[in-house]
Amino acid sequence: MMRNVGIIGVGYTPIFVSKRKDVSIPEMISEAVDAGFRNTGLTPEDIDAVIFGNMQTFEGVNLPHLWAVEHIRALGKPVMRIATGGTTGMSAFHAGYYHVASGMADVVMVVTYEKHSEGDAQVGLMGIITPEVMTMLQAGIDVTGGSGMGAIGGGSAGGISFQAMSYLNHSGASIEHIDAMAAMERRNAAKNPYAHLKDPECTAEKIAETAMVSYPIRFGHICPTTDGSTVCILASEEKAAELADKVAWVWSVANCCSDATTGNLVDGMITDPAEQRPCMIAARQAYERAGIEDPKTEFDVIEIYNGFAHQTLMFLEKLGVCEVGEAHKLLEAGELEIEGRLPTNASGGVVSTNSIGTSALNRVTEAALQIMGKAEGGHQVPKDVHKALAHSWGGLMQYVAVTVLGDTPPRK
Amino acid sequence: MDGKVAIAGYNISPCSSNMVTSRERLLFDLTTGLFEELGIDRDAVDTFIIATNDFLDGRTISNVFLDPPIGAYMKDETKVEMDAVNAIAYGWMRILTGQYDTALIVSLGLCGHQISPYLHIDYTLDATYDRQLKLLNELSAAALQAGSYLGKYGYPAELLDEIAAKDLGNAALDPYQARRLDGISAEEVGKSRYLYEPLRELHCYPPTDGGCVMLLASEDRAGELTDKPVWILGMGRSIDKYYIGDRDLAVSPSTTQAAKVAYDMAGIKDPAGEVDLAEISSIFAHQEPLLAEALGLFEEGKAVDIYSSGDSAIDGRLPVNPSGGALGAHPICSTGLIRMAEAARQLRGEAEGNQVKKAGVAVAHGQDGMCAQQNAVVVLGI
Amino acid sequence: MEETKVVTGAWELSTFKFRVEGEGLRLMLENMKDKKLVGTKCSKCGTVYIPGNFYCRKCHVKIDEQAEVSDHGTVMSYTVGYSDVRGNPLEEPRIAVEVKLDGGDTWIMGVMQECKPEDMEIGKRVKVKWNEVRSGSLQDMKAFIPE
Repeated sequence: MMRNVGIIGVGYTPIFVSKRKDVSIPEMISEAVDAGFRNTGLTPEDIDAVIFGNMQTFEGVNLPHLWAVEHIRALGKPVMRIATGGTTGMSAFHAGYYHVASGMADVVMVVTYEKHSEGDAQVGLMGIITPEVMTMLQAGIDVTGGSGMGAIGGGSAGGISFQAMSYLNHSGASIEHIDAMAAMERRNAAKNPYAHLKDPECTAEKIAETAMVSYPIRFGHICPTTDGSTVCILASEEKAAELADKVAWVWSVANCCSDATTGNLVDGMITDPAEQRPCMIAARQAYERAGIEDPKTEFDVIEIYNGFAHQTLMFLEKLGVCEVGEAHKLLEAGELEIEGRLPTNASGGVVSTNSIGTSALNRVTEAALQIMGKAEGGHQVPKDVHKALAHSWGGLMQYVAVTVLGDTPPRK
Repeated sequence: MDGKVAIAGYNISPCSSNMVTSRERLLFDLTTGLFEELGIDRDAVDTFIIATNDFLDGRTISNVFLDPPIGAYMKDETKVEMDAVNAIAYGWMRILTGQYDTALIVSLGLCGHQISPYLHIDYTLDATYDRQLKLLNELSAAALQAGSYLGKYGYPAELLDEIAAKDLGNAALDPYQARRLDGISAEEVGKSRYLYEPLRELHCYPPTDGGCVMLLASEDRAGELTDKPVWILGMGRSIDKYYIGDRDLAVSPSTTQAAKVAYDMAGIKDPAGEVDLAEISSIFAHQEPLLAEALGLFEEGKAVDIYSSGDSAIDGRLPVNPSGGALGAHPICSTGLIRMAEAARQLRGEAEGNQVKKAGVAVAHGQDGMCAQQNAVVVLGI
Repeated sequence: MEETKVVTGAWELSTFKFRVEGEGLRLMLENMKDKKLVGTKCSKCGTVYIPGNFYCRKCHVKIDEQAEVSDHGTVMSYTVGYSDVRGNPLEEPRIAVEVKLDGGDTWIMGVMQECKPEDMEIGKRVKVKWNEVRSGSLQDMKAFIPE
C-alpha cells in the first residue's frame, strides 16, 4: 500500500550563522522544533515518529538524538537516525516519507541540524578517509600535493576542483559564469531570513576578486560552515486535510550511489565524478515514479545542493532540466532568477547556507515553502508553483537524493 | 497491517575478538555468500540499507566505502546509524509501500581489534556535562543499572553469575559466537575480575568484530526465494530519557512500549504464553531478566527462580537467548540483527546444537544508548 | 547574544587500529620498482582497476587476474592550485591532474610538471616521469609530464 504524503510544516532556527554562541546543541535544535510546532499549530502529541539526521563527527557527539531526545519531544516514540553524508537531510526526509507512505505513521517530524562552530570541519572532512590517508602515507604519498602518485591536489577545495574543471570543459561555460551564479545566489540569500551569507549587491565581479583556491574554484564559490537546524513535518492525506491549510505533496523520492571519489587513495574510482551518473539515475527514477515526462518544462522551482557554485549549473544539466551546455545560457538570459522562468535556488542554496545536516533537507523545505506560498523575506517566486524539484548531493562525491514535490496529491 | 514482509535469508559472520580482514572484505563475503545461497545476484536487490556507526568505524560517513562491496554500485542505498533492527524497520516500511520487493540490510562492528571497547558510549554523553565529569561511561552506567535492578528485588549478586553461565554455555554451542566457554559454571563466572562492581568481566559483553546481512522480501518475492520465509509479524520502537538521574534504571519503559506496539501488530495478547523463544540484546548479564520483564516474558521479581529452575534454558519453558546472546558477541550495530538471524534459525529448525523444541513465534530485540536508552522489538513467525 | 560557557572534547582517532585493503596497492607498488603499473582486471566485464581491487564493482565478483597498464595516459581533468590543503598560499601555482592511463579504467591523481597552466587542457596526452631510484613507493612516480 502506497499512501500519499504531504509536507504540512517547516521550522527553522531563527538565524543561520557562523557561530551560535548563545545555545548548546540541543537548545539550538529545540528552536527549530518549536518553530515547527508554532508554524503548524501542532503539539508533540500529534507526532507519531521522529527522524533525526546530522553528520555527527563534525561536532564529536555520537548519536546526538539520544542526548537531545527531550528537546526533540521524542520520548516514547520511534526515533530513527539517518546519516548519509551531505545528503543526510534529504535521506532523513525520505525515511520520514516511507514511515507515512507505508502506513506505519500518520504524522512524522524530521529533525536535522549542524553546529559547525562546536567542532572542527577539517577533522570532520578529513575523517572520511583517515585510514586510507594513513595507508597512503606509509606508501609514500605526499599530502602537501608536491610530488608523486596520488599527490593530493586541489588545495583546500580538494577533488571538487577537478569536477568544476571538467564541468567547464564539457559545457562550454567559463569561470565568469560560475562567478555570476555565485553572485546570484548571494543576492537571493539576502532575501531569505534563514540564509547565512547574504549580499544584496553581489556581482560576478565581486566574486571574481576573491582569492583563487584551485582553478576554477575561487573562495567566493565555496559554501560557508553554518550553525542551524531545520525541521519538516510530514503527514498522511487524511491528517493533512485535518491539520494543514497549505500542503506541499511528495510526488516521488529516489536516490543512487556510485563509488567513492578518492583520486585513487588505495582504491581507484572508475566513475567520472563530473558525469554524476548517480544523479542521472536517481533523477530518472524520481521522474518515472512522479509521472514527470519532460523535466525541461514541468518544474516551476528548483532547489539544488550546491556546496560549490558551479554545481548549480552542472546539476541542472545532470537532472535533465536543461541540455548539456545550456545551463550557463539560462543564467545569462536571467531565467534562473527569482522572477525568471526557472527560478533556481531562490533560497541562496548551500553555497549561501551550509549547516551540513540541514543542507539537503533545506532543499526540500525551501521547495515546499515555495509551493505553499510561504517563503519569507522576498524570495517567494512571483507565480503559482505547481511542481518543484529538490536535489541533494554528498558523500565522497557519489551520493545523490532527489525529491519531486507538487501542489496537489499525486494519486487519485 | 497491509501486506506481509519476510526474512528470505541471512548470513552471520563467525564473530571473533580479532578478525583479520577489512570491512570491505567482510561485507563482500557476507553478501556474496548470501546471494549464492539464494541463487541471486545484486540485481535482485532493490535497495540497500547499511547500519554502521561513524565513531566505531573511526571515520566520517562510515558507509562511504561500503556500497560497492555489498553490491550497491549505481543503486539505491541509505544508512541508518543505529542498531540494525532499526534498519530492518526501514527496509520493512519500504517494502510495505509496494515500491520495493527486496531490501538488503547490512551491518558490521569492528569493536574487537579496531577500537578500545566501551568507548562509543563516551561520545554519546552530554558533551557539556557528563562528558566533562568523566564519571559516566558505558561500564559505570551499566553497573549503576545492575545495582538498581538487583536492589529492587533484593537479588543476590550471584544471580548475575547464573545468568552469564547460562548464556555463555549456550554461546559455546553456537558457531557464530566469539566467546565460547565450554562447560563454564556460575562459580567460575563469579571468579572473573570486576570491571565495575557488581559487574565482572564475564557479566559484560566481549569486544567483538563481526557482521550480519539479511534480505527482506515482499510476500510474493519471498516465496520465490525460499521455502522457509520467516514473517515479520510486528515491529515496535521507542526511547527513554537520556539523563541517568531521571530514569528508574531497574525497568525499561521504552522496551515495554516497543513490545506493546509489536505485540498488538502481531495479535499477541499473552506474550509469556504465546511467544516460544526470545533473542534479546542484553549486553550485560542483568539486562537479560530486566529486558525480559519489560517484554512481558518474565514475571517481575522472579528472576532467581527462573534461572535456577532452568525456565529460560534451551530446553526450558521459554528459552531466552538460546544462541547465548550478546555476552557471546557484540559487534555493535550488528547485535540486534544477529538476534533476528538467530531467531530465524530457530524458527526454521536450523539451529542445530542450540535448537529449542517449540519454535513457531519468536521475539528479537536490539538496543542503542547508555543502559539501553533506546529499544526496538520485532515479532517473528514461521 | 549572550555568550555561553565553552567546554572541550576530543575524538581520539589515535585509539583506532584500522585494517585497510592493501593487496592492490602492494601489487602496484612492487611493480613500480620496475617502472611497471600493474592492476587487476575483471574477466567478466573487462574493467581494469589500478590500484587493483580484489573484486569488481560492476559484477560483484572476486577478481584476481593481473593486468598491466601503460605509463602513458590522458588527462581527464586538472586544476591549478594556488594554495595547499590547509589554504596556505603556494610559492608557485601547482597543476594537479586526474589521468586515465592507457589500458586502465581508473583515474590516478598526481602532480603535473614541465608544463605551464596555459598549456594544459582536458584530453592532453601525458606520461609518467619515473624517479631514477625506485623503492616501491608512491614517490617512484615523480610526476606526470607531457607525452
